[in-house]
Amino acid sequence: MTEAIVEYRGISKYFAGIRALESVDFACHPGSIHAILGENGAGKSTLIKIMSGVLQPDAGEMLLEGRPVTFPTPHAANDAGIVCMFQELSLVPDLSVADNISISRPPRRFGLIDRRAQVARAEELLAQVRCEDVDPNALVRELSLSRRQMVEIAKAIGRNPKVLILDEATSALTSRDVQTVYDLLADLKTKGVASLFISHRMHEVDALCDTLSVFRNGQHIETFAKGEKSEREIVRLMIGRDVEAHFPPKPAPKPVEERGEELLNIRGLKWGNRLNGIDLSLRRGEIVGLGGLDGQGQKELLLALFGVLRDVDGEFHIGGRKGLPSSPAAAKSGDTRIALVPEDRKTEGLMLGMPIADNLLAASFSKISRGFLIDPARARKAVDEEVERLRIKVGSVADPVMTLSGGNQQKVVIAKWLMTDPDIILLNDPTRGIDVGTKQEIYRLMRELANEGKALLFYSSDYAELIGCCDRVSVLYSGRVVSEQEGDAITEESLVAASLNIGVEAA
Amino acid sequence: MRMSVAPENRPIVIASLFVVVILLAGTAYTLSTAGSAPLLSPNYLLQQLQTGSFLGICAAGMMMVILLGQIDLSIPWTLTAAAMTATAVGGDLALPTALGVGIAVGLLNGFGVAYLRIPSMIFTLGVDTVLRGLMVAQTGGFAPQDTATPIMLFLAKDKLLGIPVAIFVWAGVSLLIALMLTRTGFGRSLYATGSREGAAYLSGIRTKWVIVGAFVISSVCASIAGVLLTGYSAKAYQGMGNAFLLPAIAAVVLGGTHILGGKGRYIGTLIGVVLIVLLNSVLSIMQMPEAGRQIIYGSVIIGMLLVYGRNQRVTS
Repeated sequence: MTEAIVEYRGISKYFAGIRALESVDFACHPGSIHAILGENGAGKSTLIKIMSGVLQPDAGEMLLEGRPVTFPTPHAANDAGIVCMFQELSLVPDLSVADNISISRPPRRFGLIDRRAQVARAEELLAQVRCEDVDPNALVRELSLSRRQMVEIAKAIGRNPKVLILDEATSALTSRDVQTVYDLLADLKTKGVASLFISHRMHEVDALCDTLSVFRNGQHIETFAKGEKSEREIVRLMIGRDVEAHFPPKPAPKPVEERGEELLNIRGLKWGNRLNGIDLSLRRGEIVGLGGLDGQGQKELLLALFGVLRDVDGEFHIGGRKGLPSSPAAAKSGDTRIALVPEDRKTEGLMLGMPIADNLLAASFSKISRGFLIDPARARKAVDEEVERLRIKVGSVADPVMTLSGGNQQKVVIAKWLMTDPDIILLNDPTRGIDVGTKQEIYRLMRELANEGKALLFYSSDYAELIGCCDRVSVLYSGRVVSEQEGDAITEESLVAASLNIGVEAA
Repeated sequence: MRMSVAPENRPIVIASLFVVVILLAGTAYTLSTAGSAPLLSPNYLLQQLQTGSFLGICAAGMMMVILLGQIDLSIPWTLTAAAMTATAVGGDLALPTALGVGIAVGLLNGFGVAYLRIPSMIFTLGVDTVLRGLMVAQTGGFAPQDTATPIMLFLAKDKLLGIPVAIFVWAGVSLLIALMLTRTGFGRSLYATGSREGAAYLSGIRTKWVIVGAFVISSVCASIAGVLLTGYSAKAYQGMGNAFLLPAIAAVVLGGTHILGGKGRYIGTLIGVVLIVLLNSVLSIMQMPEAGRQIIYGSVIIGMLLVYGRNQRVTS
């Protein structure tokens, strides 16, 4: 093989003591299309962010064409020929297509931007990606998402990359454009460009890439040529074998007629292009998991059920009611009460600057009031009960909630909702970023709540949690349930395979 | 449940100390020049509180809006419009009319900010200008009745048990607001919404209603101040509210309410009002020329906020 164009030697990166990458050795070569595979949180994003100068490694060195380099900024990486297209589009919506394409290095004449040259350059690059229909003078905000992604690709090519990184770059493209991108990458390959391709779509990886690298838990597991391993083996590499957390025992599955009352039944839930017809049912006493990769519609589904989203189509029965709640305020009241532990506890779950007590009471003002006035005795009792029940470690409940640790903050969010005595509890990745001890307390609590007759719908990006906690799991893929698994049939292999939308038989 | 924390009380303590400093400095000045201490006489202080009650009631309403991280710039002409419309109607209907104008303006402001999502700084400024236009149009063709009704005169000028009635009105408004902030679901929702609207909404708080409610309270307070001021000056006139906007905002902020919302105690706003009223009065006793007064007045506000900022970042 030719000399590596980019090489990592023992690169490590930590975030607040948690490893994102550990002693990674990795190389990619000119004239190859190299796929990076791994679960959520395997370290793929950190890997490419270091390569493109967004993050600095904590240890180890990076070599570019054999010479050690450091990239303090993305600009420096660009100068060295490393161009990255991130998942989040990096176009400025209020500038024209031509402005965006030349944004970092516009052609100049007498020190001023040469508009004519800029437009000509944009036209040339757009022609290369077969987007002649895009007007270089149009504003980016007027373009559709798939066109924007093509402009992003044109912009990347315009920088004459030696290494081109595509992070989920094809997620919004039409199939015609995907073909264009394939052709383009094949063309770049013959010109000796190294492409790093991150995608969750196995068939794309299969069609496009010649080399594959698997990452897991911040470590580089293995690199091999395409065709050396079956999809099944690849999936096994991605999962690994170690299971760390301990879960409370699950009750034995009951026959359908002995199960709890059905609290939630949805058919054909649609919302924009994010949710494309979801069927789901939820009974008292069970924990149903939502699986799948990040961003397949899980968050939107939970928000829709909580009454946050507008213009949701489908048929819904919640308790005795037909239809979805019209707002979170409606969701938490009535006969069948719904609670949501949201994704981001710092911005959605808590008022960080406010006292712990106020945060705990924020959903229950009507419960602790007599007439118009809050009854301080009832309020104190309610707060004390929840602090006790969830064993929240607090100095004084008058302290701001931001003084608590992440795990205790999450307990405050959960306690706030338990105070409303909900029937349905929606949880959006409730254990993210909290310590193992608190995680296990939360697992236990979830099972207790289910045993009390509540229904839990639980999204987690951690497959082990879904297997350990859930009675049933529905796996989502681009806004659809692609697989429903129950009891012992829930395994890491089946979940990962379903997440990548590979047929279980094929895996 | 303690509803306050120590850092939140620090501005209140500092402002209180500064009130004492103003009184002592003013007294030292009068003692050295005239040999008397009028600043410390109960009559003088009651008179200051009487004139301060107009500002105090405006500031109470303004605080509701600032707790949400919003602002109400329509106070001056809401006050004027309520007063002018009330005197034009006259008779027993004058007071309900003033309150009605306040509620209507508040609903409009709240609708614009909560439902149309227009930044309050722009929307209330627009409403203020529209109200001014309406009032100019109203007085343009003919001269409507503008004299204060007897009840306005009573509320603003009479005394009860030797204490001006206006102070009772201010005290009543203050008690209601303080009770509402600390002891009602609406009051706690106000803090939650101002602290982080998204989290409050996802806690099932009807944040839009909370926003509308705060703007209605602000406008109603302005219309009450308009009624009192009409009684005090014996008539309603254009521009009568102009002097209240910036001092009301200053009083709220000097009292420790966070300009970005979510934090603040009502007692702080009270002290902020007293501070501004006394500062103005001492400066006028000192026969400071207008230019000097403005400079000192502005510097005090900035200086006080810097002092608060040494202990907790004012803007974070």
